[in-house]
Amino acid sequence: MGLISGILMGMVFGIALMAGWRHMMAYRSTKRIAKAVDIKLLGSLNRDDLKKICGDNFPEWISFPVFEQVKWLNKQLSKLWPFVADAAELVIRESVEPLLEEYRPPGITSLKFSKLSLGTVAPKIEGIRVQSLKKGQITMDIDFRWGGDPNIVLGVEAALVASIPIQLKDLQVFTVVRVIFQLSEEIPCISAVVVALLAEPKPRIDYTVKAVGGSLTALPGISDMIDDTVETIVTDMLQWPHRIVVPIGVDVDISDLELKPQGKITLTVVRANDLKNMEMIGKSDPYVVVYIRPLFKVKTKVIDNNLNPIWDQTFELIAEDKETQSIVFEVFDEDIGQDKRLGVTRLPLIDLEAEVPKEMELRLQPSLNMLKIKEKKDRGTLTIKILYHEFNKEEQLVALEEEKRILEERKKLKAEGVIGSTMDALGSGVGVVGSGIGAGVGFVGTGVGAGVGLVGSGVSSGAGMVGSGLGAVGSSLSKAGKFMGRTITGQSSHSRKKSGSTTPVNSVQENGGAKPR
Amino acid sequence: MGFFSTIFGFFGFGLGISIGLVAGYFLFIYVQSSDVEDPEIQPLVDQDPKTLERMLPEIPLWVKNPDYDRLDWLNKFLEYMWPYLDKAICKTAKDIAKPIIAEEIPKYKIDSVEFEKLTLGSLPPTFQGMKVYVTDEKELIMEPSIKWAANPNILVAAKAYGITATVQVVDAQVFASPRITLKPLVPSFPCFAQINVSLMDKPYVDFGLKLIGADLMSIPGLYTYVQEFIKDQVANMYLWPKTLEVPIMDPAKAFNRPVGLLRVKVLRAMKLRKMDLLGASDPYVKLKLTESNMPSKKTTIKQKNLNPEWNEEFNMVVKDPQSQALEFMVYDWDKVGKHEKMGINVIPLKDLPNDEPKVLTLDLLKTMDLNDPQNEKNRGQLELELTYKPFAEEDLQKGYDETQTLEKAPEGTPPGGGLLVVIVHEGQDLEGKHHCNPSVRLILRGEEKRTKHLKKSRDPRWEEEFQFVLEEPPTNDKLHVEVVSTSSKLGLLHGKESLGYVQISLSDVISNRRINQKYHLIDSKNGQVQLELQWRTAE
Repeated sequence: MGLISGILMGMVFGIALMAGWRHMMAYRSTKRIAKAVDIKLLGSLNRDDLKKICGDNFPEWISFPVFEQVKWLNKQLSKLWPFVADAAELVIRESVEPLLEEYRPPGITSLKFSKLSLGTVAPKIEGIRVQSLKKGQITMDIDFRWGGDPNIVLGVEAALVASIPIQLKDLQVFTVVRVIFQLSEEIPCISAVVVALLAEPKPRIDYTVKAVGGSLTALPGISDMIDDTVETIVTDMLQWPHRIVVPIGVDVDISDLELKPQGKITLTVVRANDLKNMEMIGKSDPYVVVYIRPLFKVKTKVIDNNLNPIWDQTFELIAEDKETQSIVFEVFDEDIGQDKRLGVTRLPLIDLEAEVPKEMELRLQPSLNMLKIKEKKDRGTLTIKILYHEFNKEEQLVALEEEKRILEERKKLKAEGVIGSTMDALGSGVGVVGSGIGAGVGFVGTGVGAGVGLVGSGVSSGAGMVGSGLGAVGSSLSKAGKFMGRTITGQSSHSRKKSGSTTPVNSVQENGGAKPR
Repeated sequence: MGFFSTIFGFFGFGLGISIGLVAGYFLFIYVQSSDVEDPEIQPLVDQDPKTLERMLPEIPLWVKNPDYDRLDWLNKFLEYMWPYLDKAICKTAKDIAKPIIAEEIPKYKIDSVEFEKLTLGSLPPTFQGMKVYVTDEKELIMEPSIKWAANPNILVAAKAYGITATVQVVDAQVFASPRITLKPLVPSFPCFAQINVSLMDKPYVDFGLKLIGADLMSIPGLYTYVQEFIKDQVANMYLWPKTLEVPIMDPAKAFNRPVGLLRVKVLRAMKLRKMDLLGASDPYVKLKLTESNMPSKKTTIKQKNLNPEWNEEFNMVVKDPQSQALEFMVYDWDKVGKHEKMGINVIPLKDLPNDEPKVLTLDLLKTMDLNDPQNEKNRGQLELELTYKPFAEEDLQKGYDETQTLEKAPEGTPPGGGLLVVIVHEGQDLEGKHHCNPSVRLILRGEEKRTKHLKKSRDPRWEEEFQFVLEEPPTNDKLHVEVVSTSSKLGLLHGKESLGYVQISLSDVISNRRINQKYHLIDSKNGQVQLELQWRTAE
C-alpha cells in the first residue's frame, strides 16, 4: 500500500517538477525573446516610434534627417586629421601622379606634385545614408564637405618652357560619395567596394590656380588646361555612373559591378542655325564636338565661314548607363589660337526611347552651368537625328568581345607607342594630334589652343600633318592602350575590366576627323 | 507494520520521482522542438502600452542623453550585412572547431561531436548610441553602447555508446558599453598604433543552455549564479582600468622617429660664378634635408668673395637615411630684391658611411635635371665634410618608451634643478585686427624662445618643443606665453600685433610633472593655445 502510494506520489511529484521546469523554461524563453524584440525595435527608431514612446516629452534635440548626422565621427576626424593628412600625402602622391600622367593634356610634358600638404582643416561628413538598393549590396552615401586649406604645388613642364610651379589654392570639395559594398559569405563579408561621386547633386571641386613667383600669362590657357584635366578625371573616372571598383580578396567576380555598354546611339549631326559670329572678319568656322564620356569625343568636319552650316555626319556612341548619362554637344569656332565655343547643349539619354528614330532641334546655350549664364542672348540651334538601340545579351557580349579585341590590338600597338612618344618629343604639334585622338578629340577646345599658343601655329599644324596617319593612329592607340593598361593593373589583373567603349567605327572617325588638322 | 509501510513509502516515492521525472521529461521537454523560430516583430507604433512600458528601461542612450550620437546608419548597415556575416562566422567557427574536435574525441571514447545546428540568428547586434570624448592627448576615445539580443541556435551533439547527448545554446544576450581608445596616433595609416578596449560597467549576459533539451538556466537560482560568475570573470579581465590591448602596428616605426644625426661642416667654395654686376658675389649656403619639415640652415654671408671659406658646422636630424638626401644651395645675398641662386646639388645619405667623417667636393649645378644643357657651364664647387651618426639601437627603443612615461632630464642637469620642456601644440580661434600670422613667444626669466610663424592661420598647429635648463625648480616663476602676429607685408603700419598672452604658474607644473591643456588667452576674444609642460629632473 505504502509502496504504491509512494510511487504514485513520487510520480506526481516528478511530473509536476518537470512541468514546473518546463513552465520556467517557457517563461524565461518568452522573456528573453520579448527583450530581443524590444532591442531590435529600439535599434531602428523613427519619429513616430519615438513620439509614441515619449509622448509629450519628446526630446527636442532629436531629428531624423535622411542623411543621418555623425557628429562623433567629425569630432574624431578633426582630431585624427593631422595624422591622416601626413599619412595621406604619401599615398596621394603615389596614386594621383600616374593619374595626372594619364590625363595630362597635350602641350605639357610633365605634371607632378612638387609640394603637397593637406592643410589643417579636416573634412566634415554632413551625413550618412545607408540603403540596400539591390539584394546583396549595401549602398552608403556620404555627404562629404571639405573646405580645406591644402597647399598643393604642381610642377608643370611644358615644351620650350621651363618648369613652372603652379599652386592650387583654396581647394574645396563638396560632393556626395556613394560607396557600394558587395556582400559575400566569406570573411570579411565584403567582396568588392565600388566608389563613385553622385552626379546629383553635382560634385563641386573648386580651387584657384596661382603661379608661384610669376604670372600665369607665361603659359596661356594653363588654367583652362588644369581645369580640363581635373574635370576629365572627375567626370570620367569618379562621377556616377563611372566608378572605381576595388575587389577585396582574391578571385572575386566583379564583372557585374563594372560599367558595361548598355546601348548604342546612332547620331547624325544635321545642321546648325543662327550660330553666333565670333570672328572679326567674315563668319565663324563651326564644327561640333559630341561626347558622352569626355575621354571619348567625336568631332565633325569644319565648315568655313558659315553661320548655318550643314554637316550631315553620322557617328556612333556607346552608352553605359541610360538613366544618368547624357550626350553633350559643343559647337566650336575654329580659330587661330584657342578655338571659341559658340554654344553647348546637353541631351539626357533618359529622354530617348529605345529603337525609335527621332529628329530634334536643340537650343544652344553659352554654358551648361545655368548659374554661369549671364547673357540671355540666343546662341542658335542644333538639329540632330538620333536613334538609341539597346543591346540585348548577345549584342552586349559582341560589344564586349569587340572591345576586348580592340584592347588586344591596342596592347600590341602599344609597342608602337615608342613612335608615338618620340613624336611627342619631336614637337608638341604631333603630341596634340596624337594624344588628342587618344583621349578622343577631347582637347581640341583648350588643348590645341594652348599647344598652338606655345609652339606657334605654323609649327603646330605643320607637325600635325607630318605626323602622318599611322603616327597619329599609333600614338593615339598607345595612349589609349596606356589608359587601358592602367585600369587593368589598377583593378587587380582583371582583364575583363574595360574603361572605354568606343567601337572601331568611332576611332576611325576620330582619326579621320583629326587628320586634316 | 507502519514502519515498513513508511520505508516502502519512501522507497516508492524515490522510484516514483525517477519514473515521474522521466515521464515528465518525455511528456513536456522531449517533445519540444530544438528549432529556434524567428521572433515575430511588429512595428513599434502598433505595440500596446504594456509592451511599451516594458521597453522603457531599454530606450537607447541617444534618446535619453544629448551627448550620445545616434548610430542608426551603422545599425542598418549591420542589418543588411548580418545574414552574410552570420554564415561567414559560422562557417569559420566550424572550420576551426573541426580539427580540434577530431583530435580530442579519441581521448574520451566519444564517437563523434558535431554541430547539428549553428547559426547566430536573424537579429544583428545593435548600437544604442555612441559617445566620444575629446581630450588634449593624442588619442581617440569612443564609447559605443552595444546591445546584442540574439536568437542564435547552436546545437552540439555528442555520440557515445549509441547514445546521443545534445547541448544547445539559445537566446544569447550580451549588453556592454566598451570604451575603445585608439592611441597613440601616428602619421601613417591606419593612423593609430594600438586599440585598447575596456568595459565601463559589468556586462549583462543572459542565455539559455539546454542539456538534452532541458534548459539549465531556468532552474531558479542557477541562472543568477552563472550570470554573476561570468560577469565577475569578464570584469576581472577587462573592467576599467584593466584593458585589452590589441597592437596594430609597431609604434616606433610608425612614429617616424629620428634614427640618426647628420653633422655637416661647410668648408669652402671654389670658383663661384660672378652674379652681381658690380663686384663679386656675396655667397651663403642653405642646407636642407629632403622629406623633412625642419627649417633649412644657413651659413653666414661672405661679402664679395668667390672663394669663400666658412668652416661652419650644422647638425641635422635624420629620419630615414635610405631615402633622405642633403640638399644644398649656394645663394648670392643681395641687399635689394630676391637672392640669386648660384648653384645647387644633392647628396643622398645612403652613400655615407656610418660614424666616419667624409669630405666631399661637389660641382654646383643650375638645376637638378641631369639633361639640362645649362648644367654644363661651370658654376664652381663646394667642399663639405659630412658625418652620419646613427643612434644606437637601445636609444631608439628608449625613445619610444619615453613618450609613454615622463622622460628624465639629460645628464649634466644641475642636481636639484631640472629641465622644463614646453611643447607648443596648437592654437584656436586666434584673431588679429590686421593680420593673423601667429607665432608663439615663450619667456621665462628673461630667456626667450620662439616658434616659427604660420601664415594666415587662425587655428595654427606648431608642434614645436622647447627646453629651459634651470638650476632649481621654478616654483615661484611664471612662464609668459604670448602669441604674436607679424605682418607678411613690409609695412610700417601694423607691423606686429599681439594676439593675446597667458601667464602660467610653474609650481603646478612641478607638482604635476606634466600638464597638457588649453589655455584661454588674455587680450583675445576666444583665442586658446594648447601647451604641454613637463618638468624633468635627473632622479
